[in-house]
Amino acid sequence: MHHITEYHLTDKVLIDRVLCGETRAFGVIIKNTEKLVAQIVFKMIPVSEDRKDIAQDVFLKAFHNLPGFKFQCKLSTWIAQIAYNTCLSWIEKKKPFLYGTTTDDEFYFEPENGAYHRASNENESENRVSEKELSGILRREIDLLPSVYQTLIILYHHEFLSYEVLSRITGLPAGTVKSYLFRARKMLKEKLLSKYKKEAL
Amino acid sequence: MSHSHPSESQIQEYALDKSNCTTEDIVHIESCAECSADVKTYLLLFTKIVEQPTPVFEFDLSTLVVSQLEHANPRLSADHFVAGFLVIFSSCSIGIPLFIFRNNILYMFNDVPPFFIYSILGSTSVIVIAKILLMFKKYQNQIRLLNFK
Repeated sequence: MHHITEYHLTDKVLIDRVLCGETRAFGVIIKNTEKLVAQIVFKMIPVSEDRKDIAQDVFLKAFHNLPGFKFQCKLSTWIAQIAYNTCLSWIEKKKPFLYGTTTDDEFYFEPENGAYHRASNENESENRVSEKELSGILRREIDLLPSVYQTLIILYHHEFLSYEVLSRITGLPAGTVKSYLFRARKMLKEKLLSKYKKEAL
Repeated sequence: MSHSHPSESQIQEYALDKSNCTTEDIVHIESCAECSADVKTYLLLFTKIVEQPTPVFEFDLSTLVVSQLEHANPRLSADHFVAGFLVIFSSCSIGIPLFIFRNNILYMFNDVPPFFIYSILGSTSVIVIAKILLMFKKYQNQIRLLNFK
């Protein structure tokens, strides 16, 4: 027996339902896309209190502009594009605050509790790195990258989005996306190698 | 085997998908300990990025948003209608006179002094160039903002 849930309905069907006044169908759209939006919001917005407002704002904008959606891309890509631009506006407004708080390389961001922590200065290169330790270090290093690099790295390597989709979401040319990803990967590799010898990895 | 190491981007390309690399690069990377170690580091990096926990909102976003939409209907905003009207109005105000006077358009400029035409073209070019520079400056500012860390 085939069990087809609402989560498997196509973008077209869901949008038609929302446009007919079925707001519950928009809830399904949110459920389908909130993971992608969370990736963008968490990577671009370091202030945990503001994420709630931004996430709501993204979906309210998506709802009100839904009649203008032309199916030139997937609905998730379009919503991710709204999320990226909303975060960009937030960064623009909060620029002085951000410059004052997150430019210090001694701090890293812990997504679990939404707080900044002072990075350890211990020389860890002599020790064999455990799997868990390496994941933690990598998370810290990703959080220290410029926000556009963080977003691109996560969307490409974690969400498996293509260069073209990333280009559409960020509004950057595909060549720029490729070059930013190259630099971000190189920076991460160098950061890891500066902390640990190759043999330790 | 080639003696020079492939570039960093070719090593990354190999780690991502070696089918995009040249045979020469593949042979080199597979027989060079240094390049192989670099590839291994990248592969480890990619694996660890995939294993990173997915961030989750600590609140029920769906309920929160849908509760605000109970009495709302998505519809095109007034801005869309105003923009549409302006586009149609501008097209008509240019297109209709052009169509009516299509046979006389070339004669329109006969009696206009060349200096006047050049000054119009010159000032238009200055405005267009200024607009392009402003757009470029805005783009650069946005990129700088994204690199704030």
